[in-house]
Amino acid sequence: MQHDPIDTSVALHPDWRPGDTILARLAQNAAQYPGEIAMRERDRGIWQEYDWRAYLAAVTEFAAGLEAQGIGPGDVVMVIGDNRPNLYFAMLGIACLRAIPSPAYADAPTTELAAQMARENIRMAVAEDQEQVDKMLEARESWPALELVIYDDPRGLSGREPAGVMGFDAIRAAGAARLQAEPGLRDALITRASVHDIAVLMHSSGTTGAPKGIPLKHGHVLSGVRNAAAAGYFRQGEVHMAYLPMAWVGDYIFSIAAATELRFSVNIPEAQETALHDLREIAPSLYFASPRAWSAMLTRVQVGIAETKGVKRWLYDWFMPRAMAAERARLAGKPGAGGLTRWLGEWLIYGPIRDQLGLARVKRAYTAGEAIGEDVFLWFRALGLNLRQFYGQTENCALAVAQGPDDISLTTVGRPFPGVEMRIDDAGQILLRGDNIFDGYFQNPKASAEALVDGWLQTGDAGQIEPDGQLVVLGRVSEVVEKRDGTRFIPTYIENRLKFSPHIKDAAVIGQGRDMLVAIICIDFQAVGQWAQENGVAYTSYAELSQTPRVYDLIAGQIAAVNASLPHGLSVARFANLHKEFDPDDGEVTRTRKLKRNVIDDRYGPIIQALNDGADQIDFKARITYENGQTGSLDRVLRLADAGDS
Amino acid sequence: MFYRLSGTYHTSYRADRRLWKVPTDRWLVVALLVLGAFAPLYVSPLYLGSYVLPWVIWSAAALSLTLLMGLAGQLHFGFAAVMAIGAYASIHLTRAGIPFEISLLLSGLIAAVIGAVFGGAALRVKGLYLVMATLAMQYLVDWVVVNVPWISGGAHATLRTPAVSFLLLPLDSLAARYWLALGWAVLLTVFFMNVKRSSFGRALVAIRDKDFAAAVIGVDPFRTKLMAFFTSSFMGGVTGAILAFCFYRAVTPEQFGFNVSIQLVAMVLVGGLGSVIGSWLGAGFVLLAPIFLTNIISALAATGWVPVSQNFLSHLPLMIYGAMIIGFLLLEPLGLAKIYDNIRKYFLVWPFRHARS
Repeated sequence: MQHDPIDTSVALHPDWRPGDTILARLAQNAAQYPGEIAMRERDRGIWQEYDWRAYLAAVTEFAAGLEAQGIGPGDVVMVIGDNRPNLYFAMLGIACLRAIPSPAYADAPTTELAAQMARENIRMAVAEDQEQVDKMLEARESWPALELVIYDDPRGLSGREPAGVMGFDAIRAAGAARLQAEPGLRDALITRASVHDIAVLMHSSGTTGAPKGIPLKHGHVLSGVRNAAAAGYFRQGEVHMAYLPMAWVGDYIFSIAAATELRFSVNIPEAQETALHDLREIAPSLYFASPRAWSAMLTRVQVGIAETKGVKRWLYDWFMPRAMAAERARLAGKPGAGGLTRWLGEWLIYGPIRDQLGLARVKRAYTAGEAIGEDVFLWFRALGLNLRQFYGQTENCALAVAQGPDDISLTTVGRPFPGVEMRIDDAGQILLRGDNIFDGYFQNPKASAEALVDGWLQTGDAGQIEPDGQLVVLGRVSEVVEKRDGTRFIPTYIENRLKFSPHIKDAAVIGQGRDMLVAIICIDFQAVGQWAQENGVAYTSYAELSQTPRVYDLIAGQIAAVNASLPHGLSVARFANLHKEFDPDDGEVTRTRKLKRNVIDDRYGPIIQALNDGADQIDFKARITYENGQTGSLDRVLRLADAGDS
Repeated sequence: MFYRLSGTYHTSYRADRRLWKVPTDRWLVVALLVLGAFAPLYVSPLYLGSYVLPWVIWSAAALSLTLLMGLAGQLHFGFAAVMAIGAYASIHLTRAGIPFEISLLLSGLIAAVIGAVFGGAALRVKGLYLVMATLAMQYLVDWVVVNVPWISGGAHATLRTPAVSFLLLPLDSLAARYWLALGWAVLLTVFFMNVKRSSFGRALVAIRDKDFAAAVIGVDPFRTKLMAFFTSSFMGGVTGAILAFCFYRAVTPEQFGFNVSIQLVAMVLVGGLGSVIGSWLGAGFVLLAPIFLTNIISALAATGWVPVSQNFLSHLPLMIYGAMIIGFLLLEPLGLAKIYDNIRKYFLVWPFRHARS
């Protein structure tokens, strides 16, 4: 960029007020509601609370300390780890200095992190704990420019820090001393950033090639949040559970941007493993989960109910199908049957299940990212949750299109938020425009020019607008592929329908340039394991269970059911159960669990070929990656089977 | 279905240790307290005086005994004697002109000291031998009360309680006596629950589980066992005084005989050792079940449905009652408290079978 980036931004967004930043909102909350709880973190079973005053103090002290370490405008600082208050404070502290926080996924391997550091010229990193610090130190070997690693959790590090590693508390203490010595510094830190400064640097998922940096400015995220609030999507003072990865745009929007703008209380679980338990303790009013997580929750309930007998089982089996039928009728436009059945069911089944799941107080429940299964969607709505779908990407702060509270449908994702314009171009691609749309990729003018045409974001998603103005998302424009006979299909579309089965966790449908569609299935270990117990199928491991003939029959039946709902010529003809789940560490899916098709085509090529050839089984040399990064191989015999006819 | 746990979180360990963390339990406690406090308004005097009042007092007695037997694991088969000491001491003290409130405390102290002296045997012996030692206390106290006219007024004499008032509330009405008894029982209940979560309570449990193992982890068995006998006997002594003043109003030695001790042990065992709710349920069961059974069976006999002889009829309720105790203990050896706990847990995980998170 030849021009001063701020000037360019001012020209693009003439309506933005310069001082309108997340930091200003934070300072305002601290001034007006100093004692209100802004954040809670569960630590050894006890919720530690931070009010807005403490929040602001932590942010400014950390910023002052970080500045003393030589961070200034335009520097990129990596933030890596699970959700922790100090990492959130660090993200805002970095933004105070007009530097750019660049969050990374906690489970990203060192090589990916080192590549990100090199791309973004990162000199400092804030890491959660010893594990992350070790990764940073390892990355430093290939990227020596990494000067300083700041850790949050002192366990295993305090007092014996390696060179170039400092504690968050030490930085904060130094910053506090600076704030004490320089009276005007605190206000200067809060007001230094402008609405045109980058608030956070997100990353595309990198399904194809290296991830692209997506800088979001204060103005982008704030207008995104305000648009959503205007549509009633967020309310003031929500209770929110921050359990999603910090490197995902949604967490930034919910836990930082909306939280400061609308004074949420942000609750952080003790660990990823305890998130569902902690969810019940907090009972949030706003809950977002991916379709996969909703589906996992439903599976958990179904497994739990399958264990019950007698009255409990009978009541569930009596009330839940009725609620589902009523909800189905309601979505079809018929008045929902309420009355005594609903009231009784609410008391006996729906309310208690919502309570067990920790969703008892959820007023606004959302899902996005991919299509949600009809059964899952209906089940949660029947349970009395107003579950709604929305649509967005990192490029538009994840806030673009959402279903209203009252016009819900399974196929559409709703209407654009106020302030967001939407249209479909000639190729059937969804285009978006608005103040929440980013201004271009990070140091990548070529990609930016492709993504933004006349201010319209090229989402790359194929979609259509229904007569009533609701958007239907079909899939990625780039994913439309053809069979050898020219039939066009979107693999994701079929895969999502396969995944709606509780027994199928992941699926890859392959058929480009071939005569038939074949599927590689990863069974859901919990659900199929439960099924195996009930049906007396013996197994010792995932691999063994997946290859059992009766499990093959089970899966074949489920595929046949999906085939029945697909257009002719698009049914899945044959399939194989994989001996393992798709794993981001093996590179088969991204960290957000999107399939990497080229990897699958490459690695499982022999299986796909054998399926097409009509073989009954295949000796497959499976590649495995160990925890330490080494790879090995294992011989597996995989069964191949025909799916039921459509 | 009844229990809603979401939204219950703690911001300090102190809050995490509180009694009744589940909202439903709190509501239940409040409801029971209200029901109990206003019982004189809606229960007829006959039922209040002959069912509810003794139930409340015997629950307090069972709580006192279960502290010793359930928490500290020290068997005591002479607890009626401890109550007798409290009852006689309080009457003599009030007759001597000491205010009722103070004589309650003093009678508790006297019972505590004598109880602790006999409990000293527990430092040397355990199990059945301790049962023998406490039985000795029962018979010794019985003998002394009967044979020292200065205490009982003679073997067949009845000692009337003088008219007293408690904190300006005259104890001549049934409601006043009920309220005093209820207040004492509630006080003991709260005390007991707090003992269970205090260091003293944990020391008692350590002694119960293995006294020399407790000594290894730093619990002094001598001190703790004596404290257990002292505390339990104090509670029992005051309960004995309350029993004399609020229920019997005239005491004779037979009211505190060996069979009463056995009945107390039965209350504690049927209810569930070391349990608060078990003490209430156990006292209620042991006290009220025979009465209800007798009423039901005589009603049935009156209609002619149960064609049995009059002689057999008087034994039938006792047989059923005995069978019920055996049945309950077979079904759930940990007592009525465990049955309640099972029911509570059934609803806690509703509609699932196990906890989900």
